[in-house]
Amino acid sequence: MAQNIAVKVDDLTVAYNYKPVLWDIDLEIPEGVLMAIVGPNGAGKSTLIKSILGILPPIAGSVTIYGKPYKKQRSLVAYVPQKGSVDWDFPTTALDVVMMGTYGSLGWIKRPRQKEKKAALEALEKVGMLAFKSRQISQLSGGQQQRIFLARALVQNASIYFMDEPFQGVDATTEIAIINILKELRKAGKTVIVVHHDLQTVPEYFDWVTFLNVKKIATGPVKDIFNDDNLTKTYGINYKVSIQE
Amino acid sequence: MNSAQIEIQLIASLVAIACAIPGTFLVLRKMAMISDAISHAILPGLVVGFFITQDLNSPLLILLAALTGLITVILVEQIQKTGLVKEDTAIGLVFPALFSIGVLLISKNANDVHLDIDAVLLGELAFAPFDRLFIGGTDVGPKSLWVIGTILTITIGLLIAFFKELKVSTFDAGLSASLGFSPVVIHYGLMSVASVTTVGAFDAVGAILVVALMIAPAATAYLLTTDLKRMLLLSIFFGLFSAIAGYWMAHALDASIAGSITTILGLLFLMVYLFAPSNGIIAVLYKEKQQRIEVSLLTFLLHLKNHSEKRERHVNHLREHINWQKVRAKTVLELALKNNMIVINNDIVSLTKKGDKFTTQAIDYIITNEDAQIEGMKDDFFLFRG
Amino acid sequence: MSLNEYFSLVFSDYTLRTITLGTAILGAVCGMLGSFAVLRKQSLLGDAISHAALPGIAIAFLITGAKDSNTLLLGALVSGLIGTFWIKGITSKTHLKSDTALGLILSLFFGFGMLLLTYIQKQPNANQAGLDKYLFGQAATLVESDVWLMAVVTGLCLFVILLFWKEFKILLFDPDYTKTLGFNTRIIDILITSFIVLAIVLGLQTVGVVLMSAMLLAPAAAARQWTNSLSTMVILACIFGALSGVFGTAISASQNNLSTGPVIVLVASVFVLFSFIFSPSRGVLFRQLRFIKNRRDLEQHKTLAFMYHIAKTHDNISHPHTIKILNNFQGFTRGTLQKLVKKNYVELDGNMWSLTDDGFKKASNLYNQQNNE
Repeated sequence: MAQNIAVKVDDLTVAYNYKPVLWDIDLEIPEGVLMAIVGPNGAGKSTLIKSILGILPPIAGSVTIYGKPYKKQRSLVAYVPQKGSVDWDFPTTALDVVMMGTYGSLGWIKRPRQKEKKAALEALEKVGMLAFKSRQISQLSGGQQQRIFLARALVQNASIYFMDEPFQGVDATTEIAIINILKELRKAGKTVIVVHHDLQTVPEYFDWVTFLNVKKIATGPVKDIFNDDNLTKTYGINYKVSIQE
Repeated sequence: MNSAQIEIQLIASLVAIACAIPGTFLVLRKMAMISDAISHAILPGLVVGFFITQDLNSPLLILLAALTGLITVILVEQIQKTGLVKEDTAIGLVFPALFSIGVLLISKNANDVHLDIDAVLLGELAFAPFDRLFIGGTDVGPKSLWVIGTILTITIGLLIAFFKELKVSTFDAGLSASLGFSPVVIHYGLMSVASVTTVGAFDAVGAILVVALMIAPAATAYLLTTDLKRMLLLSIFFGLFSAIAGYWMAHALDASIAGSITTILGLLFLMVYLFAPSNGIIAVLYKEKQQRIEVSLLTFLLHLKNHSEKRERHVNHLREHINWQKVRAKTVLELALKNNMIVINNDIVSLTKKGDKFTTQAIDYIITNEDAQIEGMKDDFFLFRG
Repeated sequence: MSLNEYFSLVFSDYTLRTITLGTAILGAVCGMLGSFAVLRKQSLLGDAISHAALPGIAIAFLITGAKDSNTLLLGALVSGLIGTFWIKGITSKTHLKSDTALGLILSLFFGFGMLLLTYIQKQPNANQAGLDKYLFGQAATLVESDVWLMAVVTGLCLFVILLFWKEFKILLFDPDYTKTLGFNTRIIDILITSFIVLAIVLGLQTVGVVLMSAMLLAPAAAARQWTNSLSTMVILACIFGALSGVFGTAISASQNNLSTGPVIVLVASVFVLFSFIFSPSRGVLFRQLRFIKNRRDLEQHKTLAFMYHIAKTHDNISHPHTIKILNNFQGFTRGTLQKLVKKNYVELDGNMWSLTDDGFKKASNLYNQQNNE
């Protein structure tokens, strides 16, 4: 495969209170894949993307984005945190939250202007939330809140998207809408990395997968490595999924 | 020591014990700030009670004021339930309002109420021996001694009777409900005891210092033990110690007794905070440093185990690839060598048999989430710690 | 002096003008920064900081012997900051939780401060009268230079907030995300916290250490109920804060023996109470009204649905039935029946009722909606 490597993780070790959560992770994510990170609870899935994004400092190891250190490549990366990580009663509107996606490119002090607003409105339209732009965020349903978060990341116009459990607590329509957008992103040559819980949908949604349980178990194309063997290695005792053909 | 001095110390000691008991549970239940709210909010109840009874030690007044404390707790919970403001904002809104009402009631009726605003904050322990209780004409001691003694007796009685229930509901509310002890009953029971104790102690040590006597001994004890019984005993001890030592400090400085008791409590906490054997700040910092190096060592060993290719095992790789500072890389390498975990040939690092075994076991423990075992393992394998 | 006199004098009388201006500015700056404290869920931190400032005031007095409020406030600032950082130290390095850490620092620092105050009072040469005002605040002791200091700090604060508005907002809402955008969250965090400490220290002379935290919280908590926009919330909190300051001072100045602190806090609490009850979108009153209306609608719908099931079995939907059969149905009352008649869904004839065409259509719509869900 003569693909570019979008994200390269080298010997990454992360510990919470000196309790190791991720051990010596080596990972290469090729450009243009739609990748799921799967593993049991406490396997360090969220920790992996948080430390790739510099939110949690690693004990050892390094991360490069297209061959350069992450800090220099921030503008290429967008992040969708877990929906539950923020206070949805915060006094702000849907449009305002999406506009936050432009803050990074604006840098310190500079205010968003018409151009940024236009980009935010476009992103809202893409996730089907334009009608809700002035809605207070606490008055949105769980699925709508997740779409707002996705729109905020879309505004960043990045090459690589990291998403932490975007399907958690959303309705079926939203799940389909989100996965369609992710597939569109892949078509446009972007790389999408998703922490995912539902093993059943992995073959349907994703083309690349990483099995994680403190250590990296396996990584590669879904069709090659998404099998009972790797699932058992990741989840312990004889794990079988019935994969619908 | 004259009899007044003995009586003051006795009252202070009883107050300290009476506060330490509910305080321990408040700290464990993460409700320490509720005691702050109660201690401020009872003021209006106290003042109104005083209008009625004209006696700060009357049981009616104590009940009235304690009721205000309970009302505060319920008010805070009701405001939280509306979801209009976040959790602790509710506390921060309710008690200043009630306290303000109390202060204004006092200052508007300064001529009728022999309550001094300073006394509200500081208490008047020094004058406590002068207000005496007479039964059938005989002097049986200071009134506040009887008041706080009664409260303490009830508290201890309740503690012994409901120790099991308190313990279970504090550590596992779900289990407690399934065992049939209603967490709600225990919650309000505890709140009632805290309110009554606060009112009883208020007269002696004042509003804010009640908070100190409730929280500080328990917090100090919590840094030394996690066993509930031991924690209770330790907080009682700390309370007692500061009551006596505080009294003599106030005596020497000719300053407020309550202020001195709090200061001693503060010094005690500071000492324990710094020097507690496993949870003190010095121990924690030392442990963190040790852990950091040992986790780094494990990382390094694991890396060696994962990679057989020479390039990945070159000495310089440590720094370039694993992204460590020179000093840290050197410390880790030396520690590994000292413990016979690795050998170095031509700048290529390899695991020894011992190192290999250690690493394999460590990974097993981490993946099965039994990382507590690693500490024990370190004792088996390490000749030198990080 | 009566309240009317106060307001007629406030523009002409130098002292009154100074005091009123001072409390108004103080209320405004507290409202502004309080909004951030409330949204960061640090409501009680203010309480701890203000109590922790007391020993600083006493020590500054012991060292310099000065009654000059700026020197004393510097002491307050230092000990307030020490308290704040110690709280952070306790929660990050030990297993004690934040509520315990807050309560500890609050009570221990305050107790130590009281020890020093009583010690100072006993000193023969100490002209101590000035220090008591820091407990409950005495606006009457404000002089022009104090007001200038407040104005300067408020101006600085306003400038910084306007400059870093975007950064403050995003940090308050989503700190992790802010980090990934490349902002140094620690700098923003320190900036906000320092200004909060500064505002608290500034208010000690007027409101006092015991009640200062309410000055920070109450205007912000009230403002939150009226708006869903951060900027409007901050502006409203400023206004509520300033009004509490002015009215509080007015009331306290027009009566004898009233410390300013408790009066201002009570005025601010009235704002909170009013907002909690009467805010149109969030207030308890309107929420309760909406709830009652919903329940009524539900009762009517249920009755209508019940009637629909009966009527459906007949060829003619307006076939009359006795009211008696409705009595078996829970949730049915005469009132609901009357309302249905009023809405022209049902016709009454003596003891008999029948559905109208409108009623039948409405009911079948409701029925289908329910099945689709």
